[in-house]
Amino acid sequence: MNETTDGEAAIRVTVYRRRAGDTDPHYDDFDVPYRPGMTVLDILMSIRSHQDAELTFRHSCLHASCGTCGMRVNRRERLACVTPAGAPGDQVLIEPLAGAEVRSDLVVDMRPFYESLDAVGRPLLRGDEHNHDGHRLEDCIECSLCTSACPVTATDGRYAGPAVLAATERVLREPRGHDAAAVLERADREQGAWRCHLALECSQVCPAGVDPAGAIMRLRRDLLRRHLALHVHRARNGRRS
Amino acid sequence: MTGRRGVRGWLDPRGRHSGMWTLVAGRVAGIGLTCYLYAHLAVLSLLTRGPGTWDRFVAIAGHPAFLALDAVLVAGLLVHAAHGVRVALQGSGLLIGARRSLMVALAVVGVAVGLVAIVLLFN
Amino acid sequence: MRQRVVVIGGGGTGAALAHDLTLRGLAVTVLERGELTSGTTGRHHGLLHSGGRYAMTDRQSAVECVQENRILRRIAPGSFENGGGLFVAVTDDDADQRDEFVDACAESGIPTRLLSRSAALDAEPGLSPDVRLAVQVPDATMDAMRLPLRFFATAQRGGAVLRPFTEAVTFVSNGRSITAVVARDHMAGRNVAVPADLVINAAGPWSGRVAAMAGAEVPIRPSPGVLVAVTGRWCTHVVNRLHKPGDGDIVLPQRGLSVVGTSSWTVDDPDEVRVSSEHVRAILREGMRLVPAVGAASMRAAWAAVRPLIGATGSDASGRTLSRTFRCFDHAADGGADNLITITGGKATTLRSMAEATADIACAKLGVTTPCRTRDAVLLPHTAYYTSAEVGA
Repeated sequence: MNETTDGEAAIRVTVYRRRAGDTDPHYDDFDVPYRPGMTVLDILMSIRSHQDAELTFRHSCLHASCGTCGMRVNRRERLACVTPAGAPGDQVLIEPLAGAEVRSDLVVDMRPFYESLDAVGRPLLRGDEHNHDGHRLEDCIECSLCTSACPVTATDGRYAGPAVLAATERVLREPRGHDAAAVLERADREQGAWRCHLALECSQVCPAGVDPAGAIMRLRRDLLRRHLALHVHRARNGRRS
Repeated sequence: MTGRRGVRGWLDPRGRHSGMWTLVAGRVAGIGLTCYLYAHLAVLSLLTRGPGTWDRFVAIAGHPAFLALDAVLVAGLLVHAAHGVRVALQGSGLLIGARRSLMVALAVVGVAVGLVAIVLLFN
Repeated sequence: MRQRVVVIGGGGTGAALAHDLTLRGLAVTVLERGELTSGTTGRHHGLLHSGGRYAMTDRQSAVECVQENRILRRIAPGSFENGGGLFVAVTDDDADQRDEFVDACAESGIPTRLLSRSAALDAEPGLSPDVRLAVQVPDATMDAMRLPLRFFATAQRGGAVLRPFTEAVTFVSNGRSITAVVARDHMAGRNVAVPADLVINAAGPWSGRVAAMAGAEVPIRPSPGVLVAVTGRWCTHVVNRLHKPGDGDIVLPQRGLSVVGTSSWTVDDPDEVRVSSEHVRAILREGMRLVPAVGAASMRAAWAAVRPLIGATGSDASGRTLSRTFRCFDHAADGGADNLITITGGKATTLRSMAEATADIACAKLGVTTPCRTRDAVLLPHTAYYTSAEVGA
């Protein structure tokens, strides 16, 4: 079992480190005093308060609502704030999300992710589950865990990725003034809905129950129907003429 | 530092779930089948060297160790086919709500067909 | 050259200040030691107050809330779930406070509608069958991080420089005047000096530490509260208990979760706050009296947020009687530094008015006469914070 120098029960944590401007990352080990119920985010805050003030990581709401503390914990995409740290003696490996540029340590550049979300134009509020005047916050918390977990985005940065395609499907289901045809056209490309290889990892890691994989499949079903209808239409017209 | 994992991203199933495992299995089987195709063509080219060469090959092909390799081939075919059927069905938006059931059903069918094939192979 | 203001603290107050001062033509830099909104701001329950919660005990806060509630809905369209709020009586004692509550709301300018037991249960089926009556108020819910991000995004588009992961460590002074803030850029691992004509300390519960860098003191009482989120959306209204604010007396929907809050105590160090399981149990027990389903739902998270309440050390240990209003301290008056202001207290709903009051003082000190325009300037969407950033600046 790990112990801190004071002999307390500890969790051994290995953290990915990279300063802005460094070319290569390295890994640092920390022994963090164990407390019952502690989360991975508690571990990082403890390191920052007591061992290394320069450790950089993102967090805000602490209840899986803001989506800022996405990272890979033991090679799996998680929100640090709701991920149990484990038991004393456990080893925890903490790395930044994949598929995005690392700015420093566990902080990744969210800009490309938000640019592609902006292109779809999904609003913050949804209107299809009515409460009194018809709006509630969207389920997707823009954490990009799905983008990191997807084996296709891991290989090819041109793929639109699960979050954006899920947003596309939301907009099509409830256009709210958006140009649905243009949004659909953008999804109907090689690097759009058709690039998905159905590993379904996006839905496995989604902390908000959005099911991006289901959204992508619904998108493809709709696109397929449109293409089939178009072919049938053309074939019939061809016969008449 | 893009954080992109490249080919490792789709070959490394650590920490991943069934969908990723089937993807990796389907791809590995696909690569294996491609290799087999070329091996098969090479073997067929033995025919051009006359009946003696071919007969020697057929004698080896009846050996139980060779039949075991055939069983691996059948397994690879089944894995790749089952994955293909899953991707074709789900990928066109069918059975979206029954993803897990579809995987289980295909696995059951695949194992059953595989067992029958192996029994036939060794009899 | 435009005058330079450095705001220390990237929470809701810092966000609204950056926006306000940028609109008034000043060159603003925000320094935040972690991610933006990672201190207190991002952790609150996401309630856009109608003011009802404070109507009976803290009139000034109630009036501030109802005014800001209207302004925020106007300048941040699309950020609020207008589910409304209910103040629910679940005991006879609660029900006895009905008239006092309705009158206090009327005097504060908060519109109310009285609902009978059956009307309340029709409007909010998630309520406890023990409900005696309910009073409806214009509470709403918001995303605790994304509303401030809209202020940050708009300020950034206007030229403000936002520096998360950059922690103020010392002031460089010339006599009694601060000329620069030395800060540690944790991303690059180096110190930077940010020149300043004026410094605003908006570090919330950490503002005592920042003021101490200039040898000044602020009477700040870091007052944590525990919040609990359970899986499932068990009500569509913000459900408050009809009594004076206490523990576990508010349940509200937040995306696919229900958030129950909160407790209150005071600490010396806002970085060392533990979530005790007794608090969690007590909050859920009380929350169940309003919306029973939260007791059976699975727990998603339990966390603490530290309020920056105003009060001298040694005053009220629970923090419940300390006012939720805000105060500005001009440290020219208390010997700290001539060009340092501390803004503290307040709450998420009043972030804009806190910024306006502080920016008025800042502008008076700098001789800037441009009036505040934040009551009407519609904010950019939160995504603009990311898409308009100059990465690596």
